[in-house]
Amino acid sequence: MLTFLLLLIGSGAWAQQGTVTGTVTSGPDHVPGVTVRIKNKTTGTLTNANGSFSITAVPGDTLVFSHMSYQEQIYVVKNFSPVKISLDGLSKSVNEVVVVGYGTQKKATLTGSISVVKGAELVQSPQPNVSNSLTGRFPGIIANNRSGEPGYDGSRITIRGLATTGNNDVLMVVDGVPGQIGGLERLDPNDIESISILKDASAAIYGSRAANGVMLITTKQGQTGKPVINYFFNQGFSSPTRLPKMADAATYAQIMNEIQYYNNPAGGMNQFYSAEQLQKFKDGSDPVNYPNTDWQKATLRKMTTQNQHSLSVRGGSDNIKYYLSIGMINQNGLYKDGATKYNQYNFRSNITADVTSRLKVGLYLSGRQEDRQYPTTGAGAIFRGIYRAYPTVLDRYPNGLPTTGIENNNPIMQVTDAGGLNRNPSQVFNGILKGSYAIPGVEGLSLDGYLSADKSWNFGKNFSTPYKVYTLNKTTGAYDPTVVGGSNGLPTLNESQENVTMITSNIKLNFARHFGAHNVNAFVGYEQSKTSDELFGASRRNFPTPQAPELSQGGAAATDKDNFGSSWNFTRRSILGRLAYDYQEKYLLELQARRDGSSTFPEGKQWGFFPSVSAGWRVTNEPWFKPVKFINDLKLRGSYGSLGNDNVGMFQYFNNYSFVNQYVLNGVIQTGIDLTKLANPNITWEVAKKMDLGLNMTFLKDFYLEFVYFQQKRSKILTQRNSSVPQLSGIVNPVGSDPLVPAENIGKVNSGGIEGLLGYTHTTKGGFRYDISGNITYAKNKIIFIDEAAGALSYQRQTGRPMNTYLLYNAIGIFRTQEDLDKYPHLPGAKLGDLILEDYNNDKQITADDQVRSKYGNIPEITYGLSLNGSYKGFDLFILFAGQTHVSQYVLPESGTIGNFYSSWADNRWSPDNVNGSYPRVDERASSSVNGGRYPNTFWMNNASFLRLKNVSLGYTIHSDLLTRWKVSSLRIYANAFNLLTFTRVKDYDPEGDSGSGQFYPQQRIMNIGVNLKF
Amino acid sequence: MKTSNIICGLALAAAGLISSCKKDYLNIVPTDRILGSAVLADSMLFQDYIINRYMSIRLQDKEGEGTNPGFGRGFEYGLWSSISDESIYNNDDNTWVIQQGQMAPENTGIAGTIWGRSYRSIRECNFALNNIDSVPMSDGLKKKLRAELRFIRAFRYHDLIRNYGGVVLMGDKEYSLSDNLTNPDMFKRSTIKECIDYAAGELTAAAADLPLKNDGSWLLGRATKGAALALKARLLLYAASPLYNAGSWQAAADAAKAVMELSQYSIDNDYAKLFLSPNSNEIIFERVYAVSARHVCLEISNGPNGYNGWAGNTPLQNLVDAYEMSNGKPISDPASGYDPQNPYANRDARFYASILYNGAPYRNSTIQVFTPGGKDSKDGPSNWNTTKTGYYLRKFMDDKNPIDNPWDVAGLQPWIYMRYAEVLLNYAEAENEAVGPNASVYEAINQIRQRASVKQPPLTPGLSQSEMREAIRRERQVELAFEEHRFYDVRRWKIADVTENTPAYGIDVTVSNGVYKYTRKVALANRAFKTKHYWLPIPRAEIQASNNQLEQNFGY
Repeated sequence: MLTFLLLLIGSGAWAQQGTVTGTVTSGPDHVPGVTVRIKNKTTGTLTNANGSFSITAVPGDTLVFSHMSYQEQIYVVKNFSPVKISLDGLSKSVNEVVVVGYGTQKKATLTGSISVVKGAELVQSPQPNVSNSLTGRFPGIIANNRSGEPGYDGSRITIRGLATTGNNDVLMVVDGVPGQIGGLERLDPNDIESISILKDASAAIYGSRAANGVMLITTKQGQTGKPVINYFFNQGFSSPTRLPKMADAATYAQIMNEIQYYNNPAGGMNQFYSAEQLQKFKDGSDPVNYPNTDWQKATLRKMTTQNQHSLSVRGGSDNIKYYLSIGMINQNGLYKDGATKYNQYNFRSNITADVTSRLKVGLYLSGRQEDRQYPTTGAGAIFRGIYRAYPTVLDRYPNGLPTTGIENNNPIMQVTDAGGLNRNPSQVFNGILKGSYAIPGVEGLSLDGYLSADKSWNFGKNFSTPYKVYTLNKTTGAYDPTVVGGSNGLPTLNESQENVTMITSNIKLNFARHFGAHNVNAFVGYEQSKTSDELFGASRRNFPTPQAPELSQGGAAATDKDNFGSSWNFTRRSILGRLAYDYQEKYLLELQARRDGSSTFPEGKQWGFFPSVSAGWRVTNEPWFKPVKFINDLKLRGSYGSLGNDNVGMFQYFNNYSFVNQYVLNGVIQTGIDLTKLANPNITWEVAKKMDLGLNMTFLKDFYLEFVYFQQKRSKILTQRNSSVPQLSGIVNPVGSDPLVPAENIGKVNSGGIEGLLGYTHTTKGGFRYDISGNITYAKNKIIFIDEAAGALSYQRQTGRPMNTYLLYNAIGIFRTQEDLDKYPHLPGAKLGDLILEDYNNDKQITADDQVRSKYGNIPEITYGLSLNGSYKGFDLFILFAGQTHVSQYVLPESGTIGNFYSSWADNRWSPDNVNGSYPRVDERASSSVNGGRYPNTFWMNNASFLRLKNVSLGYTIHSDLLTRWKVSSLRIYANAFNLLTFTRVKDYDPEGDSGSGQFYPQQRIMNIGVNLKF
Repeated sequence: MKTSNIICGLALAAAGLISSCKKDYLNIVPTDRILGSAVLADSMLFQDYIINRYMSIRLQDKEGEGTNPGFGRGFEYGLWSSISDESIYNNDDNTWVIQQGQMAPENTGIAGTIWGRSYRSIRECNFALNNIDSVPMSDGLKKKLRAELRFIRAFRYHDLIRNYGGVVLMGDKEYSLSDNLTNPDMFKRSTIKECIDYAAGELTAAAADLPLKNDGSWLLGRATKGAALALKARLLLYAASPLYNAGSWQAAADAAKAVMELSQYSIDNDYAKLFLSPNSNEIIFERVYAVSARHVCLEISNGPNGYNGWAGNTPLQNLVDAYEMSNGKPISDPASGYDPQNPYANRDARFYASILYNGAPYRNSTIQVFTPGGKDSKDGPSNWNTTKTGYYLRKFMDDKNPIDNPWDVAGLQPWIYMRYAEVLLNYAEAENEAVGPNASVYEAINQIRQRASVKQPPLTPGLSQSEMREAIRRERQVELAFEEHRFYDVRRWKIADVTENTPAYGIDVTVSNGVYKYTRKVALANRAFKTKHYWLPIPRAEIQASNNQLEQNFGY
């Protein structure tokens, strides 16, 4: 489908230097910024705003036209008549090459399920966190953004949903290094050339780490030709997508009265606030004593800022090519006078050199500084404070002094640096030295390899300082201070340093050759890696002064000092290979295998074998298919393979005893030892058998379609026997820390589903290029075996149901009348206004046997996206909708006398005065209320389906001679918005969250404006 | 692996990139944990292991705040007293489910962790007991440590028995994951009598080899002979009680007497200070704490809202009414001089040491639970933290600790598992039941009443056996308030269906023209107790794990 449009006019004189002029177009558009260079010479230029160029050449020279968004094009100079070059956009190209595991492959001959996104698409709507850029773009990727806190605002990415009860993390491979330290999230999107997502058995080449899918991130490399300097700036304005509306003071005061009434009905309805007091809350006549505080407004800004700069230069000669970049990201927190900040500085230097025609080397160096700064109170606690804090309490007195808020936690102070700072600067360095050598004597035989060194340094310094909050003493009129923060009224310091190193080396022997119509591409390789982690830290208490926040300046007593430290090592060793064969690019076959050894497992169980096979048939390459005109390209493909998951805790193969020093004798803490992990001497891999059947098609010239059916059987899932082991055996797991029982290879999960992608791309005669595509993923999983109690009830078992479901009582209404109470079986002491829980097993009482499993968990079964890409003249437009359905989220707010209520509950609560309320009566504490945490029920489970306008971006590329005069080859200005609109039935919080209490730093809606300059 | 060697060699030769091709590349030795064999090979490490058996694991949120829990519940946010008629936990937090009679196998509130915690500790003790012979150390030390382990294990059974009745006895069995964990034999519950006999026998054996006192070689916090005997005395008292009906009062009296005859313990002069430091001669066995290994900061979690406290465990009127007048007469006695409108005048000194009431002096101020305007009432600051009962907890509170920002400072009071006053009360009760109110019964009770800081008049001579029984019960209620006794006492006496069905009363104090008006009120509605609640339910998950082979307690 690649078309060369060479318009050669006549033929002229030979071997005579002259000027070649011409224009470069793509469809009807002129393309500025195309690098035009002469092959094997240093001469080069760029097309101007009108796509025109002029270059000095001699006949016989080969002009190379290159641009990151288009297929490279060549033109052999014959004479000096103006030339017209037409470029093809990359996405349509059959010759497009995609990065696959340990190599590249022509997209046309791919046999695996691999989705690719180009860096150029990511920077169209830049995110400080790359993981947020992947949502909705292609089928099979489920990315859920759970928090918007600067520095921790990534999306949880899963490929084709959940497939194991164990770890579902995708393996990130950056520039060929599996699990590169630093990962994907904090890469500068401008540095990314492409991301390939291996969703099926094509990932098997990554063996024991491939089961959850693999993402291959490739950074930009140099290009031969005149250097291109690219400057990119983005200014963002972010605000929460949504925050729950909370009850106002008058409502909350009334609720307090109701709670007291339920605790002691004899006391009547005004046990807490009299009618006059309620009136004062209502009319605001005494705002100091009867305030109506909006804690969100008091603590949070409406909007905060973030920006990104990136500057790169890309160029090279035929022998040395380079890509150099620096970048910077600044993000501010949402808090008023807040201490939260994220700053990132990154650099990259990717240099490749052809030492001889056979020997090539490359050095890839990158590093970044990630400066995270937070108040000493964490985001979870701050938002807990904001949602709990009572509207009936002032945030500040009229004289500006902060109040004690809620139990001396005043969110407006907690967000600031008044209580000290928690700084977590960390640095990441990645260095890769690559080499390849074409072995003489055998055509197509080559050796390549790399040595990579990754290192991260994570520093933490948390200095907590005391500060004052105030209480107005109503009798004396004085503001009594209370010292909070620090400890014992004095500062405390915690400092720690964690260094992680990973050394990976790899060597491969490759063979690639055509034998007539037979193409062979194969390699065998060896790889090993060692990861070391070292951590140490110290704490000090009772600092005499906050002026000297150093370990050396802390309290002098022995009990003021504490230290800690730990380290671990982890090694892997692998042998791997691939054989790809095709006949005329028509019949495609690929075999892959990897043998992996891992130090996680005991000797004798360390090695696992992971083979895969895939095949494809390009039907349209069959001569007999030619008459079918409306199908331009059709490929059928399939793959099957065995992949592994070794993402479990180390050293589970022997009984672990650890020092836990807590018991005190005679006032002194004793050295103590606990058994912390029982042995599983047989621990080994989790195995995934993946099957994938797919179809890729282009039809009616402009339509493209992909359809995949996939199936996966996970077995030997490493999971703990938590439920079937009776506690009286003495094998009992603690809450909130590592279980005593080891992981055992006992779990089984089957999953499967379909992926579909349909797109239409077209350029009108008027020059309007557009591309509309929609994608959908349906991924369902079913637990085949999970450890469950022998006596678990059939309808409560997880076996046979999807993972992550909830076990809840069915709430079927509210007791509104005495007849209701008489009619329905109910809990002892049930009252009017309580939820009616369904007597599911009809035993006339409500017990745990009436709980039922929910249909869905909080990972969606169905995700979909719809994107529109358009350009006209200098304008470009990108719109992306992303949505999810078949998903549930349970959220029970921490309400009661313990904290404020969502107004949806407060305003619609059942009460003796509002017997038609749609929410149950209020209670002391939702978490232990019969209507809440004590009998967790479906009333608090929401259908978390949503459709979101994830991304809208509008850009304009200015073509102007003025710019040309300033050596600016292109200038693009743009505006875009992230998470702009959300359509959902969830009322109070962002449906993408996964917090069961709703207390988290909310997802952000980000508006960006930016500019992209090329010189 | 031949191919791997070839490739590995090739790699080295070709690129020189491979940092290591060592054969043991994949064999990593951990540096942050040790093998069980190492623990058994070193007597110091083995003793480090034993020391931690005085604790067990956390099994619930808000349990083991600061450090892991020991025996029973101890100092936590919600005290065990708040599931009895002594106090209520102001903010529920899974205590009201028990107060309101909704406790069920799936909803055990704060009382669901004793089962698992105890059995885990029993298994850990058995590992040590089964292997101690191979540990290189002197026979003398082995003997002491064996006794210590058997004491700890017996204490776990004590925790199990008094909550669940007859439980499964493990002996020295140490289950492993490769055992058949569905074997029906595993789930056979022994009778209460069998359990008591086993635990008492273990304690007798432990007492024989445990040191008589704590000293430089047996530090405070480790069990002594007296601890083993006192625990045995408590168990035998329980066994003789109506609910258990599995022992004799005489045996219980003898067991208590054995502790008294050790002559190691005496009644502390100061009832208030007794609970603040670990060094009282009255304490028989306790859990001690330190900075960095503390328990809940009691002052902030229980203090009045006017002092920035959170009013956690608030005493009930039900308990307040049990305190006699300082003349030794109960308030129900018309001759006592009790004035309902001046209710706190002239009460038993232990009342002032245990409960903060309207007008009580506290930290340079006085408690104001009155409305309107009282700083410790709903009209005070942080009014969501005000008491529902009209009282705040005084016992255990150390005024030296700050209320604001106490973290890393407070939480150091010892949790007293057993003290001499209890032994005397145990003796008095058992002796009164066995032979009647003889002089030794009076002597035991009066020792407690005559404590220097208490000075309650001696019991009136000539009480009948049942009058003495009532007196002893009242004395226990008052003397041992909030110490995890009342919950079990009302059950073993089988009076819980009365006491625990009495509404949870508090007091309403209003002021007008400087005159206080006291009105009883219900502090928490719907208090309820059903017969089945005499024993705790075994957690539902445990019954299911046993495939319903483990017999649930009656009524659940």
